Amino acid sequence: MAYQLYRNTTLGNSLQESLDELIQSQQITPQLALQVLLQFDKAINSALAQRVRNRVNFRFSLNTYRFCDNVWTFVLNDVEFREVTELIKVDKVKIVACDGKNTGSNTTE
Amino acid sequence: MACVNPVPKLYRSVIEDVIEGVRDLFAEEGVEEQVLKDLKQLWETKVLQSKATEDFFRNSIHSPVFTLQLPNSLHQTLQSSTASLVIPAGRPLPSFTTAELNTSNSSASFTFPGYPIHVPAGVTLQTASGHLYKVNVPIMVTQTSGRASILHPIQQVFQQLGQPSVIQSSVPQLNPCSLHATAEKPKRMETVLQQPTILHSGTVDRKHLENATSDILAPPGNEREIMSEALLSQPESSQYIRLPGVVFPPQVSQTHLHGEPVLGVAGSMTQNLNGGPLSTGRQGAQHQHMSDIQLRVLKNRMFGCGSVKQPRNTEEPSSLPVSEKDSNSQMDLSIQVTDDDINEIIQIDGTGDTSSNDEIGSTRDVEENEFLGIIDAGDLKVLEEEADSISNEDSTANSSDNEDPQIDVVEEDPLNSGDDVSEQDVPDLFDTDNVIVCQYDKIHRSKNKWKFYLKDGVMCFGGRDYVFAKAIGDAEW
Repeated sequence: MAYQLYRNTTLGNSLQESLDELIQSQQITPQLALQVLLQFDKAINSALAQRVRNRVNFRFSLNTYRFCDNVWTFVLNDVEFREVTELIKVDKVKIVACDGKNTGSNTTE
Repeated sequence: MACVNPVPKLYRSVIEDVIEGVRDLFAEEGVEEQVLKDLKQLWETKVLQSKATEDFFRNSIHSPVFTLQLPNSLHQTLQSSTASLVIPAGRPLPSFTTAELNTSNSSASFTFPGYPIHVPAGVTLQTASGHLYKVNVPIMVTQTSGRASILHPIQQVFQQLGQPSVIQSSVPQLNPCSLHATAEKPKRMETVLQQPTILHSGTVDRKHLENATSDILAPPGNEREIMSEALLSQPESSQYIRLPGVVFPPQVSQTHLHGEPVLGVAGSMTQNLNGGPLSTGRQGAQHQHMSDIQLRVLKNRMFGCGSVKQPRNTEEPSSLPVSEKDSNSQMDLSIQVTDDDINEIIQIDGTGDTSSNDEIGSTRDVEENEFLGIIDAGDLKVLEEEADSISNEDSTANSSDNEDPQIDVVEEDPLNSGDDVSEQDVPDLFDTDNVIVCQYDKIHRSKNKWKFYLKDGVMCFGGRDYVFAKAIGDAEW
């Protein structure tokens, strides 16, 4: 199983919303929706691992940090993300990071 | 330039993989294939409509303007020869699929490559600027260098159309011309073309249009009225193209729409389509029933954009969604703008809106109690001013209850005032739209110097998505 971390992304949220709509219209069962989400977790994890190849550097000031259950949660201020192609500046960013050292570990809820 | 944003492709591939992966699951469950297709449609629609996918079809900020020519074959109601709508074109990457186009929920965002593109009916076009166009009727989109040319067809449309073809124009944020044309077909798809400066009624001068190339035509307030009428009169199903002729300056649209892709009058139109002023972007393939009437109205009016109209526009769309949803009845051109409608319809997209906290007092109470414990009524008011006004009710109610225990800590208020600030930040601190979801390889800290080694992350800034394979960061706490 893969991290369910990526469900809170644009892609993941839109999928969940779509599934909720189908559940409400009784076209699928919640159990099936759960299976879809699990499938999504696998797909997004493998896609990110294999299909994405870019690097980003960033500098920022750390506002808060939290480490619980092997999950880091940071809140950064005045962040500057520098990619090869572009520079992105954001005032406030929240980072949620799961342990990537051992991809076998899962943070299933 | 390395402009090709990998995100859209990545997302598409993920969607494909997931759909394929669950296809068997669906079959096992005995769910029809159609449901799976619906899921895919919904999913793609939402993703496409989100700002994150603006890059899908927009490689550059500036998008060329292209004209959208509506074939005469447009619906029965639309008899005009051709209406050219200027649509700001983004990147050349028409990515709509026929399958999508044909479905009622079809929505496609594409950027015009600069060559004429025939857009079949049932396609929702999203311009680079994020404007959403729904095309119910087959349209031909061609890119034109000059905006003036746009006007011609529109005027013609207006003049000739006595039918309910309504073309809405809204001004895109970046592009002066965002043509939003809505044509309704039996499919309930509407083409909404937003043209910032479309003047209706042939009498409208191109001058206005031309002058308004960057912004919108000047026509006076009629625009609003027209729009509102246009919006209000929504015929149903019969195909008609609405010529909004309403041109809204980018300002208008933006303010009007709260940042949804559909902006300006057209935005309001699209809103109607979506049944909500702000939801146009999201719903994409919302169906709207536009009334035929608007042409008549439009003819009589000059379309122009003015910031003044903005307030009207906001009103208009709000009223429209309500009426549109019911659409099958044609509405007269009377403009029925009511604040109540607006309030009912306009939805604040921000999920972080605390306006509803009065009812969900528990959450607020918890937060407020945190500071109520060390705040007396006076300080509470100060805090309330800083916080949402809504909390006042809860806080005042709680303050009375907490006065006794607070007496002892009243003296600590000044001492803890600094802490209060940070406490206030805590709940809000983690409620941000800019989120990065990733995995970490290593997190290192040395005194107050932090080093981050992250990988496989998805970033979302202001709605836009980015991905990275590795990220290295330095921070100081």
